[in-house]
Amino acid sequence: MPDTGSDDAVRIENVHLSLGSGAARVHILRGLTASIRVGQTVGIVGPSGSGKSTLLTVMAGLERPDSGMVSVAETDLGTLDEDGLARFRGQHIGVVFQSFHLIPNMTALENVAVPLELTGRRDAFDRAAAELDAVGLGARGGHYPAELSGGEQQRVALARALVGQPAILFADEPTGNLDGDTGDAIIRLIFDLHDMRGTTLVLVTHDLGLAARCGRVISMRDGQIVSNGTGADIQAQVAAE
Amino acid sequence: MSAMAEPSRSITPVGAVRGTSSRLPLPLRFALRELRGGLKGFYVFIACIALGVAAIAGVGSVSRALIDGINQEGQTILGGDAAFILIHRELDPDEYAFLDGHGEVVTTASLRAMATVGDQRTLSEVKAVEDGYPLFGAVEIAGGGDLYDLISERDGVYGLVAERTLFDRLGVEIGDSIRFGNHDFEVRGILDSEPDRLAGGMGFGPRAMVSREGLDATGLIQPGSLVRWRYGVAMDDPSDAALRDLIADAKDQFPDAGWEIRSRANAAPGLTSQIERFTQFLSLVGFTALVVGGIGVANAVRAHLDRRRGVIATLKAVGADGGTVFWTYFLQILILALIAIVIGLAIGAAVPFLTQSAIQAIFPIEAAAGTAYPRELILALVYGVLLAAVFALWPLGRARDVPVNALFRDHVSARAGRPRLVYLVALAGAALALAGVVIGLAYDPLVSAIFVASAIAVFIILRAVAWLIMVIARRVPRPRGAALRLAVGNIHRPGAITPTVVLSLGLGLTLFVTIGLLDGNLSRELQRNIPDQAPSFFFLDIPRERSGEFSDLMTEIAPDGQVEKVPMLRGRIVAVEGVRADQIEATPDAAWVLRGDRGVTYQDTPPEGSTLVTGEWWPADYAGPPLVSFDDELATGLGLEIGETLTVNVLGRNLEVTVANTRTVAWENLSINFVMIFSPNTFASAPHMMLATVSLPDDSDAVERGIMRAVSTDFPEVATVRVKEALDAVNGIISQLAMAIRAASSVTLIAGILVLAGALAASHRHRVYDAVILKTLGATRGRLLWSYTIEFGILGLATAAFALLAGSVAAYLVLTYAMAASFVFLPGIAVFAVVSALTLTLALGLAGTWRILGEKPARHLRDL
Repeated sequence: MPDTGSDDAVRIENVHLSLGSGAARVHILRGLTASIRVGQTVGIVGPSGSGKSTLLTVMAGLERPDSGMVSVAETDLGTLDEDGLARFRGQHIGVVFQSFHLIPNMTALENVAVPLELTGRRDAFDRAAAELDAVGLGARGGHYPAELSGGEQQRVALARALVGQPAILFADEPTGNLDGDTGDAIIRLIFDLHDMRGTTLVLVTHDLGLAARCGRVISMRDGQIVSNGTGADIQAQVAAE
Repeated sequence: MSAMAEPSRSITPVGAVRGTSSRLPLPLRFALRELRGGLKGFYVFIACIALGVAAIAGVGSVSRALIDGINQEGQTILGGDAAFILIHRELDPDEYAFLDGHGEVVTTASLRAMATVGDQRTLSEVKAVEDGYPLFGAVEIAGGGDLYDLISERDGVYGLVAERTLFDRLGVEIGDSIRFGNHDFEVRGILDSEPDRLAGGMGFGPRAMVSREGLDATGLIQPGSLVRWRYGVAMDDPSDAALRDLIADAKDQFPDAGWEIRSRANAAPGLTSQIERFTQFLSLVGFTALVVGGIGVANAVRAHLDRRRGVIATLKAVGADGGTVFWTYFLQILILALIAIVIGLAIGAAVPFLTQSAIQAIFPIEAAAGTAYPRELILALVYGVLLAAVFALWPLGRARDVPVNALFRDHVSARAGRPRLVYLVALAGAALALAGVVIGLAYDPLVSAIFVASAIAVFIILRAVAWLIMVIARRVPRPRGAALRLAVGNIHRPGAITPTVVLSLGLGLTLFVTIGLLDGNLSRELQRNIPDQAPSFFFLDIPRERSGEFSDLMTEIAPDGQVEKVPMLRGRIVAVEGVRADQIEATPDAAWVLRGDRGVTYQDTPPEGSTLVTGEWWPADYAGPPLVSFDDELATGLGLEIGETLTVNVLGRNLEVTVANTRTVAWENLSINFVMIFSPNTFASAPHMMLATVSLPDDSDAVERGIMRAVSTDFPEVATVRVKEALDAVNGIISQLAMAIRAASSVTLIAGILVLAGALAASHRHRVYDAVILKTLGATRGRLLWSYTIEFGILGLATAAFALLAGSVAAYLVLTYAMAASFVFLPGIAVFAVVSALTLTLALGLAGTWRILGEKPARHLRDL
């Protein structure tokens, strides 16, 4: 994790984003401002279409806002070109997707090693093997994604997101494609790794129970942040419901 | 951070990396991993490149086999290390002694003469040989036997061996007699092959071989007779240096000999140049196949990269920059292209082996036996790599800019765009390099440049035609019937296969129509137009003193016939303005005049049908220095102007003549035409024969047979060429060439079919979706089938219409401007184009959907 000299891992200011064109154009993010401190666990919740996944992709540098500023690890992402942004992601950001997005023609080990190979690390495969071991798949590195279960694929995706020791881990509905038990196991793993490594964690989820495990919870509706509380607040809300 | 933050080092990498060494450059590593997906989606890609490369490698290898064969067997083909060729006269004793001093000399004499058996007569190419012939190689006689023994005198009768064709035409067998001139030869053998046949050029009749003494007995050799004397020399010192010295000494010591000298290194220059010219044409057809295949390459690469958008976006999400993405997929495509190229090269390299027996039937060259030709294979490899680059760079350049948000936004996948400038520059560079190779290495760069430009133009126009069809389909009022509405919608919807159908079939069909119309029109010209204008007969070697007698005979047999007679000699241009003929830089169209000997004549008035272009004709009683009238187009090609001097060797004497005028010559009407016509005083006392033509008003076979009979009886020394038969022979050769060209063009059509099949397979999913939804909503199988029939029918018809138009224009331009022939549209070609376009589009289009139409929607609905 870089020495940022700041407590903010992520900072966004007045971020707007619209998608589509003409009559189909939708204003998805409407002037969002927020910051996430280093080492925090943040859950982003909200109904479908509220813009929570889009906010995650903007913060992860996967999507550029129409206007506003996004700063990650003290770097204004707007100053980077596409290739610069890709390299920045490789060095500072880890992302876990709902659909895993593993590369089908690469083994689990190779999938995990890719971010390190891209940075030219000679020990890419040793570290990737260790990371697979850390997520409990040490014996499955030679398998292709199609030969793994959904839970195993998400573990590989998690290992890939963490192998470069990123400053921030973004997870977009990481259990959305998994059954309950497998999803619980993945969540336990994510939080365990966070606890051990101190990586900032930003988690998008529909599941208020899951969000309640985060230190902080951002609620969104219609592209705006409607509440910004603690996990305890959400726990109380869940209990009330 | 806890201990778990640093991953354990004790774990052994599982499965290593399954073969992709981490020492390889990163993009190559990723490319190799991508190749684990197998060849699925790349079969058309591989087939297209392999087919084009195989065509180019095959044509190049066969051509090289032939040319190498001619070069390696130069001695055999030439009939010596060197050959000295004279028309009209034999070597004088000094000249003969000079050659004899360098090695063994064998003389042959060749002439055209009438072979007669009773009432049957036919023109034959007679070759008289002496003992010792051939110096190299062997004469093959069916059933064996020694040639000279067979043709020697037995009981006052000389023997003859001849090609089977002569036997068939005259109805004779071994032991029968055939008369040439004044002698009846006994038929003693069937000639299977002669080693030096290729160096002799094209013949008008079957070969008959007799002895030199036998030829003398015929009385056919008279002063001025058109006899080709050939002296082959097997040198005592066969080194290249000695051969060069021999030729140089011959030129120095006998500057006025007027002989044509050939060495074993240049045994059949005309044939070699014809092979190179034909090879160029076939290579260009192969190039067209490659370009058509390029559409398949582009389609396959685009489809592959579309399928890999998720992977590309994932790579970018975890840190890959655009350059890494580009090089990963560039290398993957390059590796696949190399696999295809290797397949193509293997097929191309095998072509000389596979066609060996067929080629040897036409060109009896031992060295044409198969071997691999690295230069031709490397050239084909270069073609394949450049083609893959030209057609893959655009989609690859676009893949570089696949946005990372393609991971979660489907709409971006349809976004089109131009690749970055650097890729456009690379694409332009590859395209220029490809065109440069095609044009730069061609036998005739101008012809290649025109062909390449035409192919590009047709390509662009076809793309515009496809665009137009889509625009029309979009704007046409909404059809009432559901089937028609679906068909029209399929033609113009985004991702429609319209451009692929029009491009892939259009180029191949256009080429086919062009060749069909050229072939058809040339055959028509040879079978109908030329016979209408041309004379019925040519008569060679009419003794000058019996010329009046010949006219009388014609008047008696064919009173309505028109007889034209001119003096006939043979002459070679030795120099122009003192510059030796072999050092003159002539245009390709005119260079043939300087090679070998040409017929020459003299006249006191301009020939009928010719128009003076420059200068003036000489007065009837002109008695000054010799003058010559020259064909205007050829004079331009040689850079010859009025007042300049030519040195022409006639009958072994070098004559200095001044160009008095230039004139038009209508070669195409096959009447008596000469490049050079001299002022009569030039040859006033020279021995020579007359050449005559007879034009008959009606197509009367009986009169023609009567003329042949009478001439062979009264003028046994005269060779009769029946124009109808000669044209049939030429037409036969053109038909064979057209067959070879059609076979080569079919490669282009096959490439088009592959591309089309690939495109249809790619659009399969979309059609399944349509079909399943429509069936769910109540559409019957018949209605869907009808809809697809309409769609493919419209595309097929539009493609055929364009191919007909473009092919007709191309054929018209070539016939009118390059061949000075007339153009007639041939409906048969139109029917062929329409039927094949419809058959191909409908058959390929419906084949893929038929299976789907028969299935239950539910199964597919689950997958949609």
